[in-house]
Amino acid sequence: MNGDASHSKKKPKLSPPEISSEFSHHDPAVARINNGSFGCCPRSVTAAQRDWQHQFLRQPDNFFLNLLQPAISRSRSLVASLVNAPHVDQISLVDNATTAAAIFLQHCAWSFAEGRFSPGDAAVMLHYAYGAVKKSVEAYITRAGGHVIEVDLPFPVKSEDEIITEFRKALAKGKSEGRKVRIAVIDHVTSMPAVVIPVKELVKICREEGVEQVFVDAAHGIGCVDVDVQEIGADFYTSNLHKWFFCPPSVAFLYCRNQSNAGGDTQLQLHHPVVSHEYGNGLPVESGWIGTRDYSAQLVVPSAAEFVERFPGGIDGIKAANHSAVVEMGEMLAKAWGTNLGSPPEMCGSMIMVGLPACLGIGSESDSLKLRTHLRDCFAVEVPIYFNKRRHDHRGEEAGGGVITGYVRISYQVYNKVEDYERLRDAVHKLVNDGFTCGSLVEPESD
Amino acid sequence: METVEDHGNGELNHLTKKPRLTRFITESAIADEFAHHQPGVARINNGSFGSCPGSVLSSQREWQLKFLRQPDDFYFNGLRKGILRSRTLVKDLVGADDVEEVSLIDNATTGAAIVLQQIGRAFAEGRFDRNDAVLMFHCAFQAVKKSMEAYVRRAGGSVIEVRLPFPIRCDEEIITEFRKGLEKAKSNGRKVRLAIIDHITSMPSVVTPVKELVRICREEGVDQVFVDAAHAIGSVEVNVQEIGADFYVSNLHKWFFCPPSVAFLYCKKSGSSLDAHHPVVSHEYGNGLPTESSWIGTRDYSSQLAVPTAFEFVNSFEGGIRGIMKRNHDEVVKMGEMLAESWGTNLGAPPEMCASMVMVGLPSRLYVTSDDDALRLRSHLRAYYGVEVPIHYQGPRDGEDGVKDEYGIVTAYVRISHQVYNTLDDYCKLRDAINQIVDNKKTCKTLLIE
Repeated sequence: MNGDASHSKKKPKLSPPEISSEFSHHDPAVARINNGSFGCCPRSVTAAQRDWQHQFLRQPDNFFLNLLQPAISRSRSLVASLVNAPHVDQISLVDNATTAAAIFLQHCAWSFAEGRFSPGDAAVMLHYAYGAVKKSVEAYITRAGGHVIEVDLPFPVKSEDEIITEFRKALAKGKSEGRKVRIAVIDHVTSMPAVVIPVKELVKICREEGVEQVFVDAAHGIGCVDVDVQEIGADFYTSNLHKWFFCPPSVAFLYCRNQSNAGGDTQLQLHHPVVSHEYGNGLPVESGWIGTRDYSAQLVVPSAAEFVERFPGGIDGIKAANHSAVVEMGEMLAKAWGTNLGSPPEMCGSMIMVGLPACLGIGSESDSLKLRTHLRDCFAVEVPIYFNKRRHDHRGEEAGGGVITGYVRISYQVYNKVEDYERLRDAVHKLVNDGFTCGSLVEPESD
Repeated sequence: METVEDHGNGELNHLTKKPRLTRFITESAIADEFAHHQPGVARINNGSFGSCPGSVLSSQREWQLKFLRQPDDFYFNGLRKGILRSRTLVKDLVGADDVEEVSLIDNATTGAAIVLQQIGRAFAEGRFDRNDAVLMFHCAFQAVKKSMEAYVRRAGGSVIEVRLPFPIRCDEEIITEFRKGLEKAKSNGRKVRLAIIDHITSMPSVVTPVKELVRICREEGVDQVFVDAAHAIGSVEVNVQEIGADFYVSNLHKWFFCPPSVAFLYCKKSGSSLDAHHPVVSHEYGNGLPTESSWIGTRDYSSQLAVPTAFEFVNSFEGGIRGIMKRNHDEVVKMGEMLAESWGTNLGAPPEMCASMVMVGLPSRLYVTSDDDALRLRSHLRAYYGVEVPIHYQGPRDGEDGVKDEYGIVTAYVRISHQVYNTLDDYCKLRDAINQIVDNKKTCKTLLIE
């Protein structure tokens, strides 16, 4: 070092008790193995967030006129460097991946309305695309006259090739029907079931096949898998920062490869659907002001980055540690239950799907939700359960010959401990030993 | 509004944590509640960003902690119930028929996007003819104007502006201009698809005769009426059925003590409201706007959940929200008249056309000749006098003399607000600051802002 005792004095690495302390606000009674759904936020970052909230409560005019935009720019720059985006103008901060999808899909709807796309032109998306995104595609694409092609994905999955093959088939289908495939929506890590998709290869195929715009939904991306937007090569890439990057709820970024800023053709630009004063000044600037609201989650990205640096290897170190831990825990569970993993380890990030014993009788999505509630209420274990409709292709057979229809999706994040997964293991063992089946559960009262 | 039950039968209304006091909140308790406001600043701009008392902020923090503690449990078991409770309180407050007509959203800007997106879609899908008209005031909030550009003009609709006369003497002036605007909009056989009417305009700020204007819209066959009432709740009486609009939006964080940010959008049960969707589409798409709005992906919904605590706060004042509104109104008018007298200027509107905000003419000798000048003066007041107040530049209109003070034409107005935390001292600071600037013979262009 050149002796520059600069502004960012590196803090020492966190010890295990310090890590526990950072997450002491988590319910101590719960085996929290679902970081994938709602993420987590350490105390030091929520404290930083409170500071920002205090700033605007104290003197909101001064805050909004003088403090907010520079702070948002700082966060955007940091994200740009994290994801290897060449230019900060390519990075916008939005609430979540759901919002990013709406921004992109509304733009596609305009393309239909304004004649850049024709009725019947196609959008390709994965069968396992996130439910909210599917609805968004319905609301903006189907309604505008577009045709949706779903890529059928096998599950359990054995290799990336299976996904690539199905993807090619879907594109070919579009072509054979004489359709122009205008856009592709590709998950980097599907949600349920969770599988890491070979997104770089799929983007390449899209380019080969002339798909105009590729949108990668990486809700689980940053902090869970490697994110280099230039390497991945998509036109649009979105990831939540509150899932695996320790930001408070909620903040996500949307990367746009080719978007121009103020002065570009407003029809060709993406726009935030909540239109405010900055309309037409480029998506990053539009997203930086969508009316009076709490922007504090966007402002603590630097604090989250600082937190991450207190782990050996930073975000890469955390990712690697999470990955090997979740694989280890997954294999432990699969062995204990006599079941299987939903995908090979190299197709997992910080989450893995583990088959549940067939005798539990998970016969529907409703069953999986009931079982999940039962695990929460009776065993204080929080883990999402996936009901796999695919029973015909004999992939989900367990040792005893029964067909596995349910999978837990276990996550591993820095606050998790082996005991969390042992509790899940033992809970399922108890259920099996008690002869429990989902059919015996009463319908939970709806909220 | 139903107030908290007493303890006679030993039962606590589950909304209340503190025992009900027989006396109302004291001055010092009010000061405590707003102790987080920056001391030394005369904060006379409640209108822009609102304010939130400490007790409501605490409640919000509790909700935030609940989520962080066990988010799945929160999502499955707490969130929807909490939002429904908030929506129900709002529904009663504004006189809506059915809680299904009330959605909670971030702010009025979002409400405008929801209403205008469905208008835009109707143009794009050919249900409206190209050049069918949408009507709004020329001084509509800038965000709403941009939203018109983004959703209406872009889709082929034409936008007609109604001039808001200012300074103004009576409701009739607005009604006359509005009728003129409607005539123009209907010319060439166009259909007027939507009228956007501010309940209380932002800059310059005036309470409009909104009921009358909505009635005129119905008479003249306007398809849909959207009332942008960003400032209304907590500063004027709101009865959405009496007002009779199809859509009515108001921010709860401006004058109703909620944390930033939360607003309600009322959609009258009818054909058109069925096509109103939240633009951020998620799992609940198609289940009605209130339900769609209650889940737009993972985010912090705590300001929506803290709404009941804001009601509690309001009810700790004598007369509840009505008492607060009346006192704010009386005080802001009194302060406005004090300033006008001291500066030798005028009020921009008569007291009956004001709620908790008043426009007061600035001395002509400040020579405010543009929006930039106004901003400069505002920044100077903040930096050098610790006064926070927005300033409106009112350029002279062709053929009109404009309002004059002793030295020339009044071209600028401060918009002063009064909320429960304000004191006489705040307005004296403003009064003296302006007088000093004038006495020092400074004009806007020569003011320092750093």
